[in-house]
Amino acid sequence: MADRSSHDPLAGIAFDRLPPAGAYGAPGEPGVVASTAEPFVALVLARPGKAASVVDRLHRAFSVALADRPHAAIEGNTTVIGTAPGRFLVLSRTDADLFGTLRAILGTDATVTEQSDGYVTFDVTGDRVSDVLAKGALIDLDPVAFHVGDAVTTVIAHIGVTLWRSGEKSWRVLVGRSYEASFTRFLIASAAEYGLRLENKGSEGRG
Amino acid sequence: MRIPCPYCGERDAHEFAYLGDATLTRPDPAAEDAEARFHDYVYLRDNPAGAHVEWWYHANGCRQWLKVERDTRTHAIAAARAAREADTPAGDAA
Repeated sequence: MADRSSHDPLAGIAFDRLPPAGAYGAPGEPGVVASTAEPFVALVLARPGKAASVVDRLHRAFSVALADRPHAAIEGNTTVIGTAPGRFLVLSRTDADLFGTLRAILGTDATVTEQSDGYVTFDVTGDRVSDVLAKGALIDLDPVAFHVGDAVTTVIAHIGVTLWRSGEKSWRVLVGRSYEASFTRFLIASAAEYGLRLENKGSEGRG
Repeated sequence: MRIPCPYCGERDAHEFAYLGDATLTRPDPAAEDAEARFHDYVYLRDNPAGAHVEWWYHANGCRQWLKVERDTRTHAIAAARAAREADTPAGDAA
């Protein structure tokens, strides 16, 4: 584990390389802990007039409390995020054939697109997560305004993200895979004053 | 300037791309004077000081076209609706 608590925690790290796991910034108990995951991801786009039916089918299949609005419905290993009217991102930690599962559930009510290789997610936890994310965001991420279950598609540090609050102190950020290094650099630079522990993703499969 | 996206909520204008006047209607290409009409449609724009109806695309959000009523003097926004629900067909813009 690297220990980079110097004045510039990104010194010596090539801008296009994924920064190594380790402790960055302020020493001591980290204010933010971040790790990446590669869940299975599929995009569901309801055909015209079928949004309500898609919501209903997803609800019955995954027992998620879903509506056609920007929020995160989480149940077990499945997360459904509203990203636009009639459009949902579905994430699964376990279902390798998420695309096939969704096709079977939704029939002709929606188009389904396999997206697993397109995205990584950052699991970001700690007392200072909203302070860190707010440095790159143009929206109000204070826990008073941004509640557990809220989800937004927006930009952070000029990087397009979909992020949601999965718990009191836990947030998930979905980032295009090719932006993983850039977003990690943003986290390191922005969390330096609170201390950041960056964890390596495990090698035991996806999710 | 912040634009109240009907789906995403109020968002900074940096998340959007601007298309322009939402009151124009694409001329009939089969019409007798189509060339002159298309010239006007493509090139001629009013430049009102005050209320203006315009297309905005929420590129870094829900990726939907919006029809926004904005005051060009104050940037005050009177309304923002999804183009798909607005009265003017959005086919040309989208």
